[in-house]
Amino acid sequence: MHPLLENAKRTVDQAEMYWNQSHSIVVRYENYRLQQVTENDVSEASLRVIQNGKIGSAYAVFPNQEGFLDNAVTGAQYGDPVSYSFAGKADYPKLDNYSEATAQLKSSDLIEVCESIKTKLQKQLPDVALGIGASCERSELTIQTTQGANATSKSTGASFYFGAPFKGAGVGVFKSRSGIAPQVADGALLDEFITWYNWGNQSSTPSTGRLPVILAPEAAFLMMMPLLAGVSGEAAWKKTSPLTQRLGEKILSDKLTIYENPLLAGNTDARAFDDEGVPCAKRAIVERGILKEFLFDQRVGAAMSTPSTGNGFKRTMFGSGNETSISPWFCCPTIEPGDTSWHDIVKGIKEGLLITNGMGFHSGNFPQGQFAVQAVGFHIINGAVVGRLDKTMISGNIYQDCLDVAAVSRDVGLCSGFLPLGTAPYVLIDSLQVAGK
Amino acid sequence: MKSTFANIVSSLPADYADLRFEENRKIRIGYEGKELTEVATTLTSGGHVRVYAHGGKAISSFSDPGKAGPIADATCTSAILVGNSRDKKLRVASAPVITEDFLITPVRDPRTVSLKEKLDLTAHYNDIILQNPHVITTQTMYDEFTSRRIFVNSDGSIIEYELINVGVFGMIVTKKGSVVQRVRFAFGGNTDFSPLLGREEDVRKQITKAVELLDAEPAKAGIFPVVLDPSESGVFIHEAFGHLSEADGLQNNPSFRAKLQLGITLGKPILNVTDDATLPGLPGSYEIDDEGVRGMRTPLITRGVLSGRMHSRETAAEFGEPLSGNMRAVDVQCTPIVRMSNILIEAGDSTFDDMVRSIDNGYYLVGAKGGQTSGDQFTFGAQWGYRIVNGQLGNMVRDINMSGELFSTLQATSMIGDDVRFGERGGCGKGGGGPMQMNRKSGKGSPHIKIDAVTIGGI
Repeated sequence: MHPLLENAKRTVDQAEMYWNQSHSIVVRYENYRLQQVTENDVSEASLRVIQNGKIGSAYAVFPNQEGFLDNAVTGAQYGDPVSYSFAGKADYPKLDNYSEATAQLKSSDLIEVCESIKTKLQKQLPDVALGIGASCERSELTIQTTQGANATSKSTGASFYFGAPFKGAGVGVFKSRSGIAPQVADGALLDEFITWYNWGNQSSTPSTGRLPVILAPEAAFLMMMPLLAGVSGEAAWKKTSPLTQRLGEKILSDKLTIYENPLLAGNTDARAFDDEGVPCAKRAIVERGILKEFLFDQRVGAAMSTPSTGNGFKRTMFGSGNETSISPWFCCPTIEPGDTSWHDIVKGIKEGLLITNGMGFHSGNFPQGQFAVQAVGFHIINGAVVGRLDKTMISGNIYQDCLDVAAVSRDVGLCSGFLPLGTAPYVLIDSLQVAGK
Repeated sequence: MKSTFANIVSSLPADYADLRFEENRKIRIGYEGKELTEVATTLTSGGHVRVYAHGGKAISSFSDPGKAGPIADATCTSAILVGNSRDKKLRVASAPVITEDFLITPVRDPRTVSLKEKLDLTAHYNDIILQNPHVITTQTMYDEFTSRRIFVNSDGSIIEYELINVGVFGMIVTKKGSVVQRVRFAFGGNTDFSPLLGREEDVRKQITKAVELLDAEPAKAGIFPVVLDPSESGVFIHEAFGHLSEADGLQNNPSFRAKLQLGITLGKPILNVTDDATLPGLPGSYEIDDEGVRGMRTPLITRGVLSGRMHSRETAAEFGEPLSGNMRAVDVQCTPIVRMSNILIEAGDSTFDDMVRSIDNGYYLVGAKGGQTSGDQFTFGAQWGYRIVNGQLGNMVRDINMSGELFSTLQATSMIGDDVRFGERGGCGKGGGGPMQMNRKSGKGSPHIKIDAVTIGGI
């Protein structure tokens, strides 16, 4: 048992310690030039205690802090009564998320990754303001409780990104890859970047009205974030979810099957246990359009008389990590692929939009399934891209508009954008409201 | 500790180096509905070192002050590695050497207020909201951040300074049938505890709006003229223009750098925009930034013409423009980036009634609900709005997001009101090439303004 927890055990009824130590290196290029090297060593901890049936918490970054335990105990003096105990002893699923090769990466290795991207792209796009970055991290997370939970994970992550604004425009194309092992940009990814960048040389504004819309994996969050808000056990408990009382009903198109997939192999956000030390497991959330399950942490589970689903994570829309309160969140959401090539989906559209991002999502009423965003992506006419979208907004409600999905691609990509990393295919929605010309 | 750190940065074989060491304390009290979800304290301490050497730059965060020396040495080695690869060298503009402390004495210091009083206050406002029968849940938060920082640099500056930010904010969630609406509230947002007291009527006004929204109609999609209230126009100028005035975003973007040369005309002569850290009692007010440069007033647009921008010492050197004291880091894990202090559209001479009367078919949009920007593209939401029909305010509308392009929207800003107001609670999320830094100390002010055309996303 960690000394911090040993100390807490002498003072309070129950205690839970979250301790994360990480080392990261980031190199960043701007405009094809190496701009900065960043190296960080971070130790952070949180402590939750239950004393006389009440809960209190304290957080520390670089924790050699006097008063850390005292702060948690003081919080418990004022805290609400709790109806659950901290996690007990458990068997955790095996998850291989450590690569010694990544752990040994140095800044010079990351510079090499960036240089290879730079060399390939500078030949074809010499006048583009290309930003490139590469990073690696090794970390060790320990969650222990006085109730017997003892979860430890040594993990690594390596990633790179590159992107550039279209000439004279505020938006552009951005591509990234990440994984447990060291990452190298392959030719197909670089070629796709060049194709997309060249698509954006012209701008195009569709007419106001309803049009078919393809959500690329990068834009899957427009559907997944409202869904997350809806399947959160907390929203069901507080009756703010539009999905309350809809378990077993059709909420999306039968072409959509969505998993909570925390053991996703090779994914840097994959987890064997959540931030409360509860084991994680793959779960069908939506199966062929039918709502199958809500997500719970221990607090909300206790309120709803159901066990935690292992989804108590320190995440919010705008942050994650030590200081964030625990609430039910996706770990690695995945949308099952279909059987069509995304290129064929584009070819089949008379007029429509290929969406790669949506700006201003968080300003909308997304917990109710709604979104109204500035559309970032491409305008399609007669099966071909005619230019990047300009002066265009799309809006809708996933529980109405995603009932009618015409196609799901067999190609998948990483989806993130407010979410932990998951995977998604290209999804063709029959029609969305478009505000353009 | 100050002299040890000063010796470390001065002894590096660097063009320039600085080191910031912080001890931070946050208190967070949170209610969700009837449930007190959190009474939590966060303690943070550690250092951050930045080194410019051979025209390159490297940065590191660290925990143990005893290891500051070796970490600074390693950071210097990385900076040399970067510098040796660059044809175009990075350098910093010269800045006054400051050996002074900047400690804060609020009217009522939140650090001296008991946890019990803070908790009771939060519970009091939460209870008021829960009394309304249409309210299905709440989020009511007390949020206090205090920071004591030491800054030293290789020029000889040795500074100790404080930051304080305290506020109450939250969300009121109402429901009628299948319609669920959310309205935000916030007060405080500066160094003083006193403004958090006696705000019951402000909370009740927001409850009323959250209930009225249940019967409002969704906004229609299309392009419309709009009047923005001071909260909305403050977000507009922050998101759409302010971020493009932060020089670190322009530094490596040749096309926008070319478009935003000082002296170009961006708007009508009625448009004046300023960033001002020296205004007292606002969220983004401060004496000294996290690069050891004094906070100041920087005119950004003067009579419609681009007249200045916000800088770091690095960007000021590269652009050949004056220092502005805008480099700030939210905590020790973050490097300073260029950020607005208090951005302000200065008062014009139109009245709100003049603006409404000038519109046949449009919207009056009220209450900031966050926004996002990318280059010259911006999107932001309104908490609620009203149709404007034939020069008169009409029905209430909900679920409003709008977007536009900076340059055409500034030109389309045709009327500016005489009623400047600042939002009490600041906030801004920016990464600047690194992880997102959510900064509480960012103020936004404006009068009502009229924009002739923006795109509204709706049904």
